[in-house]
Parts: sequence; structure tokens; C-alpha cells
Amino acid sequence: MDVALDSLKFIDLNTSSIIFLFIVGFIGGLVSGFIGSGGAFVLTPGMMSLGVPGTVAVASNMCHKFPKALVGAIKRFRYGQVDIKLGLVMAASAGIGVQVGIKIQNMILDAWGQAGSNLYVSASFVAVLVIVGGYVFYDAMKSRNSTGKDETPALAKRLQSINLWPMIYFKTANVRISLWFTLPVGFATGMLAATIAVGGFIGVPGMIYVMGVGGLVSSASELVIAFAMGLGGTVNWAMHGMVDIRLTVIILAGSLLGVQLGAIGTTLVREVMIKVVMGSIMLIVAVSRALALPKYLAQLGLMDIAPERVAIMDKVSFVIMCAALLLGAVIILGAMFKARKSMAGHEEAVAQA
Amino acid sequence: MAHVTTKKQAMFKMIAFGAASAAIYGTIFQNANALTEMFSRGGYYAAGPIATVFLVSYVHGGFASNLWSALGIEAKRTVKTAQPTQTKRPEVRATLNA
Repeated sequence: MDVALDSLKFIDLNTSSIIFLFIVGFIGGLVSGFIGSGGAFVLTPGMMSLGVPGTVAVASNMCHKFPKALVGAIKRFRYGQVDIKLGLVMAASAGIGVQVGIKIQNMILDAWGQAGSNLYVSASFVAVLVIVGGYVFYDAMKSRNSTGKDETPALAKRLQSINLWPMIYFKTANVRISLWFTLPVGFATGMLAATIAVGGFIGVPGMIYVMGVGGLVSSASELVIAFAMGLGGTVNWAMHGMVDIRLTVIILAGSLLGVQLGAIGTTLVREVMIKVVMGSIMLIVAVSRALALPKYLAQLGLMDIAPERVAIMDKVSFVIMCAALLLGAVIILGAMFKARKSMAGHEEAVAQA
Repeated sequence: MAHVTTKKQAMFKMIAFGAASAAIYGTIFQNANALTEMFSRGGYYAAGPIATVFLVSYVHGGFASNLWSALGIEAKRTVKTAQPTQTKRPEVRATLNA
């Protein structure tokens, strides 16, 4: 049975685009399985570069994101890293954040049009990634050479000591904190997810530095948040008929392989590697999005720049974004390889003894 | 007690899940245009893509998991130090040595 598709909504798939989506899906899955999020920020512009309309790209990306997060969460739950209660509490407040984020987006779209909206998204990207990513990276470098377990950050210690009703105990995370302090973290995660599609860039550092949850449990529980938010978002997009199932299953083919490898990786490497990967990706993506700012400033008449230069900056921005994801994958695979090698060496020494 | 899958078992499971995954992908792409058109109608048809990705994530996810196990890429087993089992000390009884 041959059915003609709406060519304005659905692209013709060829071998190179299938391979591209599979590879980006795999690398994105690997990073997500390891740090709890990531990959989505490359997939949406990646699909758009193939000619997929923005809304279909966002919808198809989201539709692959929640089953991938589910598989990653189940895998990491088996390793004892997921705090389901923490994930669900965060997901509830993140849901409110998403709704507020969408409202703000619509207000900006009405007031300043598409260029204004794009400028807001890119500026949010740069601001959040530089501030939060910079701190995560600084902290990772500081604790890289320490051999002990991560200490609870000072802010988290202080907040945990405030007995403000209702207090919640998260068993796997081994954290007791007031519900009121979890709400802003979840809310900000949702806001960021609605704005730049990667809520984990706030969610994971928020859980680590504000709530005092360890890096492993934070990144694993983030997968629960991503599943809940992704499922809700997908229902919404699918009700509007925006999901291209072909794109979704191709990306899923790669990302299900990647997410499981990333999850395995968390058991092999030191916990600080999660911060190293996350900080590195965030800072490089910030550079990429900063390069997109002049285009939107020019569209709003706030800056004068030659169109040829804008085109070059656009391409460089996309390449840097892909490089960020690739670098994350290289660090993860490199750390896994090193850990396996040292484990093998250790086993050999034990066998000889 | 957690069940530990051997490499051989993982290989068999990988083949079984892989065949099922290939069949699902084959069916989807055999009817790609029809499915894409149907799933883009919106409304109740939204259940289509959601059910599809759940099915794919179970079958292809099973394949992926067993693929890494068959290749020997597995999570580090947390070695728990064996705690000495507490045995009840024999009660001291008064005995009469005649």
C-alpha cells in the first residue's frame, strides 16, 4: 500500500540521512545514559538541517526521548542509582515549569516574533550554560584529583539543616530536605526544558549543589524526570499529529544502544566524570549558541552584520554543537576503556597472587 | 538473588531480540508512508506512535542490552565483602560427669 505523504511536513529519507540520525541518536543516547540528559540539543537542529520542519523535529525528538529515558532509568535502577521518589517529586514541579516556560515563549513570540523568540532561546542557552556549566566544570576540575567520595556542597548542607515542613527523605539519595527547596530546582528544570529542550542542564546540577544529592543518583534520577516530561510532551505533540514515526524509530535504534552503554559506563568510572562530561558539553554548547546570537540581533535590527557572515556563523555554530556531543562521547568511552583496562590488570594481578 | 546472565545466554537472547527487532523495523519501514500518515492524523491516533515506541524500546532495548553483555561490556559488579554469619553460641549447660 503506497500512501503519498505531505511533503511540507515529512521529508524524503535517504541513506545518508538515516545514517546521520542513527549516529547522532547513538551518541546522544550514550551521553544521556551517562549524565542523564543531552543529545536532544543536537537532534532538533540536526533534523532541521535535513529539511524537517521545526515543530515536527521537536515532536519526533521528544517521542524518542521518553522511551530512551525509560530504558536508561530501568538500567540504572538495577544498579541501585535511581531514586524514583526524587525523580517523581522533581518531575511534578518540572511539569509546572514547562507550562510557565511555554507561556513565556508564547508571550515573547507575540511581542517580538520568531526572531525575538529565537534570541530569547539562544540568550537563555548562553546564560545558563556559562554560569551553571562553568561552575560544574570548575567543581569537576577541583575534585578530579581527590580520591574520596564527593562531599555535600555547603549550600545543600545548609538547606538540609533547615527543618521546614514538609520534610522529605529520599532513600537512595540518602537526603532529607524540605519540599520547598526541591520545588525551585524542579521548576527551573521544567522552564529550561520548555526553552532549550535540555532540562537536565539545570536539573542535575540543581540536585547536586542545591539538594546535596550525589552525581550518580542525580544523573540517574534525571532520567525519571526526562521520561515523565517527555511522555507528557509527546502526548501533546502526537495529539496534534506532529510526530514523524520514521525519524523517531531511526533515532531510537541508535539511542537505545547508546543509553545502555552510557548507563554501564557510570558503574565503571569515577563519579566525578559525570561532572567533567556535563561541564565540558555545557561550555562548548554555550560557545555554539553565542555564535547564533548575532543572526537574531540582526533580524531584530539591533545589530548590523553581513548575511554571508551570518551563514558562516550558523554553520560553525552547528559544527561546534556536534563537536560538544562528540567530545562528551569520547570522554565517556575513553574513561570506560581506561577503567576496564585497569580492572583487567587488577584481576590479572589477583590471579597471579 | 540477582540472576547473572552468561555470555552464551546473552548471545541467544541477543539473536532472539535482534530478530524480533528486525521484524518490527521491517514492518514499520515496509509501511512507512501509511503509518506516518495515519499517526499524523492527531487525536486518538496519538496512541499509535506512543505504543510503537514502547514496543520498540522493549524489543530493541532487549537486543541492545544483550548485545553489550554478549560483547563482554557489563557493569562493574559491586563486590560485597562477605560478612561472617553469626552462629548461635552453644548454651553452657551444667553437665554431670559421673
